[in-house]
Amino acid sequence: MFNIIIGQYVPGQSVIHRLDPRAKLLAVFLFVIIIFLANNWVTYALAIIFTLLGVFLSKVPVRFIYRGLKPIIIIIIFTFILNVLFTKEGELLVSYGWFHIYEGGLIQAVFISMRLLVIIVATTLLTLTTSPIDITDGLEILLGPLKKIKLPVHEFALMMSIALRFIPTLLEETEKVMKAQSARGSDFTSGSLKSRVKAIIPLLVPLFVGAFKRAEELAMAMEARGYRGDVGRTRLRQLIWSLSDTFLMLVTLFLTAALFILRG
Amino acid sequence: MDITIKNLTHLYHPNTPFERIALRDINLQIKSGSFVSVIGHTGSGKSTLVQHINGLLKPSRGEITVGDVTIKAREKAPRLKDLRKRVGLVFQYPEHQLFEETVEKDLCFGPMNFGLPLEEAKAKAHQALKLVGLPQDFLQRSPFDLSGGQMRRVAIAGVLAVEPEVIILDEPTAGLDPMGRRDILSLFERLHEEKAVTTIMVTHSMDDAAYYSDKVLVMDRGQVVMMDKPEHVFSDSKQLKQLGLDIPVTMNFLAKLNKKVHGQSVRPVFSIEETADAAIKMLRQGRGETGHV
Repeated sequence: MFNIIIGQYVPGQSVIHRLDPRAKLLAVFLFVIIIFLANNWVTYALAIIFTLLGVFLSKVPVRFIYRGLKPIIIIIIFTFILNVLFTKEGELLVSYGWFHIYEGGLIQAVFISMRLLVIIVATTLLTLTTSPIDITDGLEILLGPLKKIKLPVHEFALMMSIALRFIPTLLEETEKVMKAQSARGSDFTSGSLKSRVKAIIPLLVPLFVGAFKRAEELAMAMEARGYRGDVGRTRLRQLIWSLSDTFLMLVTLFLTAALFILRG
Repeated sequence: MDITIKNLTHLYHPNTPFERIALRDINLQIKSGSFVSVIGHTGSGKSTLVQHINGLLKPSRGEITVGDVTIKAREKAPRLKDLRKRVGLVFQYPEHQLFEETVEKDLCFGPMNFGLPLEEAKAKAHQALKLVGLPQDFLQRSPFDLSGGQMRRVAIAGVLAVEPEVIILDEPTAGLDPMGRRDILSLFERLHEEKAVTTIMVTHSMDDAAYYSDKVLVMDRGQVVMMDKPEHVFSDSKQLKQLGLDIPVTMNFLAKLNKKVHGQSVRPVFSIEETADAAIKMLRQGRGETGHV
């Protein structure tokens, strides 16, 4: 029922899985920025190879990534069409009434869709191969220097990890309440838009009630176990920066340099 | 309504790395008007199985027939709404499904979804509330102001208001105090006896399974291990223990007593009264044979 895989973690033992989350975060962050440097076939090819290599090494089934991308493909197609229709550069390829397709528009559309696709695959790969806890741990350490200017980095990271931790729980709860209301004759999948929106209320109210109750219980449980914030807190699992992490950083930097040199 | 399940297999998350077999080639039949308990270890597929009965889950392979509705794998399900009207399902912690401002509105939710006009729905709501033993002045209260046990009863009334012919209970007494447990269970016993409602109860309590049901269905790792009368199922304590289950307290007690007085083994009994009678008989026999007690 819930096909969207952004934010979902697929446990594994691949090279990509074992990379330090800090390295992965930095690499993806950098990659998402430098992809905007690409502006010709060579540079795009490099970015795509880099992404595909990541997918290949992660050993996550391609079919699984594809299924998760399905909902996003509509957005990509939409951008593609917009770009084809509204860019008026280069040779005129097709002309029919007010409808014109230029060579430049077509190329632009392909490039922009590629860019979107590559960004989404790369970030999805990050969350597919890194457990939410690792991601927030990595983020907290990377953002650590900001604590000096009194930014609540730890609280922010904690909020994020709790939020991520409870996404599956909430989805499960949603499914349960949906089933319970369906058993009472509620219909979520057919009928007019109005009746479908109305069918959401019996779903949302129990979900909210449950979420508040759970938040309260969680706060209580954390206090009972002695949680008192960031100060003096040690970690059970230390992040270890290894050679392969340095290697990933080097490859990413190399890619950055290559994009700078090869862009038209 | 008779329920027939043929070669039913259910997969969770098919075609993903999380694929898991929840039910494996299930075949069984439940006769109209019977009371069946489903027991098994946590994760043995009890809940998954019962959710097929009102079409909440679809078989991945095989088929299930409830009354005149058949749901087959890979075929579009027919008239689910009609099926759900006739098969009521009380989930674990049903109070989590309450959402309306007043108890009355919440009780009307089911009947109105199934097409009853407001006035008739209200009449059903009042009946259902009476059925679960709550006073009528609860109708205008908010369901969120009630105690846990009362919320549970309101939620159950919400399912009963539809007047289903088959009722499925998924651990209906989880988290209730002993009083609440007994009230809820005797309510379903009464419904079963007076209105011949086919009742299917998922439970972790061997005592309840033994005492209330005509047949006990034992599940293990997605398969049906046994489906028989309680006295047969619970006479095989060795196998039950292997499956992480147990025999009812009454039988446990008699077995221990039997060992002490060297009496003859008695037939399985599940109510307190019968156990007392059996104990007396056993003690008398024991005295007769050994000459002292």
